Amino acid sequence: MRIYWKYFLVLGILILICLAFSNQFTTPLYIEVPKGWPQPKYDFKKNPLTEEGFQLGRHLFYDPIISRDSTISCASCHLQQTGFTHIDHQLSHGIDGKIGTRNTLALINLAWNKDFMWDGGVNSIEVQAINPITNPDEMDEKLENVIVKLQASEKYRKLFTKAFGDDKVNSQRLLKALAQYTVMLKSSNSKYDKVMRKEEDYNEREQRGYDIFKSNCASCHKEPLFRDDKFENNGLAIDTTLNDVGRIKITQKKEDYLRFKIPTLRNIQFTFPYMHDGRFKTLTEVVKHYNSLGHDKNLPKELAKPMNLSDNDRVDLVLFLTTLTDTAFLYDKRFSFPRE
Amino acid sequence: MLCFSFILLLFCFKGNAQSKEDTLSITFKLKFNKEALAFNQQYITSNKDTLTFDNFKCYISHIQIHYDDNSVFTQTNSYHLLDIENPSSFHIPITKVNDKIISKVTFNIGVDSLASTAGAMTGDLDPLKGMYWAWQSGYINMKIEGKSSSCKTRKHEFHFHIGGYLPPYYALRYMELIYNKKASQINIGIDLYNFFATLNLAKTNSVMTPGTIAMELADYGKSLFYIE
Repeated sequence: MRIYWKYFLVLGILILICLAFSNQFTTPLYIEVPKGWPQPKYDFKKNPLTEEGFQLGRHLFYDPIISRDSTISCASCHLQQTGFTHIDHQLSHGIDGKIGTRNTLALINLAWNKDFMWDGGVNSIEVQAINPITNPDEMDEKLENVIVKLQASEKYRKLFTKAFGDDKVNSQRLLKALAQYTVMLKSSNSKYDKVMRKEEDYNEREQRGYDIFKSNCASCHKEPLFRDDKFENNGLAIDTTLNDVGRIKITQKKEDYLRFKIPTLRNIQFTFPYMHDGRFKTLTEVVKHYNSLGHDKNLPKELAKPMNLSDNDRVDLVLFLTTLTDTAFLYDKRFSFPRE
Repeated sequence: MLCFSFILLLFCFKGNAQSKEDTLSITFKLKFNKEALAFNQQYITSNKDTLTFDNFKCYISHIQIHYDDNSVFTQTNSYHLLDIENPSSFHIPITKVNDKIISKVTFNIGVDSLASTAGAMTGDLDPLKGMYWAWQSGYINMKIEGKSSSCKTRKHEFHFHIGGYLPPYYALRYMELIYNKKASQINIGIDLYNFFATLNLAKTNSVMTPGTIAMELADYGKSLFYIE
């Protein structure tokens, strides 16, 4: 009888302890680094991923409430099925049909990025979102107003409580939650990845395309992320209607004139149009552009030698690029519009 | 976040445990030619430019109190935004008063590169304080805005947003002010007269990006601070 007593007491205390902690604790989330990939650049220690934080970020990403007139959400320009970018528009358009100055970047494997934006002006994914929110051509809203609107919403007070323990909305929580969602957008299940994992094989022409890629493109679009932290001039003549000088605007260094980010090629089949000003509609045009370069001392050494690709080479190269499409990522329900 | 709130909590306790009288604090005083600065008042610079002010904000960070026995008090999480619209921000409690002679006070004008690259911050470093550049991450260290007939700009406005953390345009400036006395209250003047003494307002009136000019202005910024 006495033993029973103790047993129940201990159990009761344990249950009480569990209950006490159950409200404070969130479900931890981890980003799994695929085999052979480098470690992510994002410092997760400053923003530990949780399921609740991720879900809050997901709601925010899809909610036009963060724009001035509740018409534009992040997803307006970053559509999941096209690699989280804005297709069919050379330059992105935002609030009141206003048009920006650059082509939307795809949101893929951002946890591995050092800088953000075409010119690398933004140094953390957490502060990246301030740009579209406050840009007069995009969402044209003040962070202060976003906070007021979210604080007034019962739905968000609940979501913030789940993620952070209380319903206080501030800019740091808003930005960190958005970052939780965007750093989770990992694409590592394309045919290329399956071939690398030896689960599938390339056919002869895909393999030829891969070989051409390795000798002509991979020095900048580095595997396995198919991007680089560097900024380069890829030989595009300046568009005089935009006069976008690129990275030099950030660093003021002469050598950064016309240099832009080397973006990822993952899911490139669906992220058209291409380049910072969206000037190319198809991958064929892109490959033709690179194939037309060479013998130009203003170009980086990687592009200094002509590629001399034949028509067949070009077709195979484009075929290889389509093996970077990750359908599981593009249709992953965890990243899609949150239905309640 | 948790860590930060904890530190904040500690500060609260500290604040409660001691009275105002035991606290060594720094009070910054915004001036123009030794007079307290007021908005909508016309001032004349040493270059005979007439001007009025409508904004002043400035970050003070990493405050250290050096004593004559070579001990140093370093304030933790020391980022303070002096904002003309929030007068209490010019008064910064530092630590407990003690009987030692304070040899010098040192601090940075601006936000260091560490905090500039640390992602979304809160408190005085909250990006909604109007001192954050979104398109080119980083804080504006000092913001001085107003009007002058010498400026051939829209509405004769001048805007000085001095900042930048990327070398070679790291616009943070280290300030060292010799004190050599005991004190429970240190008054530091910030005299904008000195800023405009070295400036050709007709030529330089709109600086809102990091770069060579911002570096020059950051150097001028050092000349504003003095022990009262």
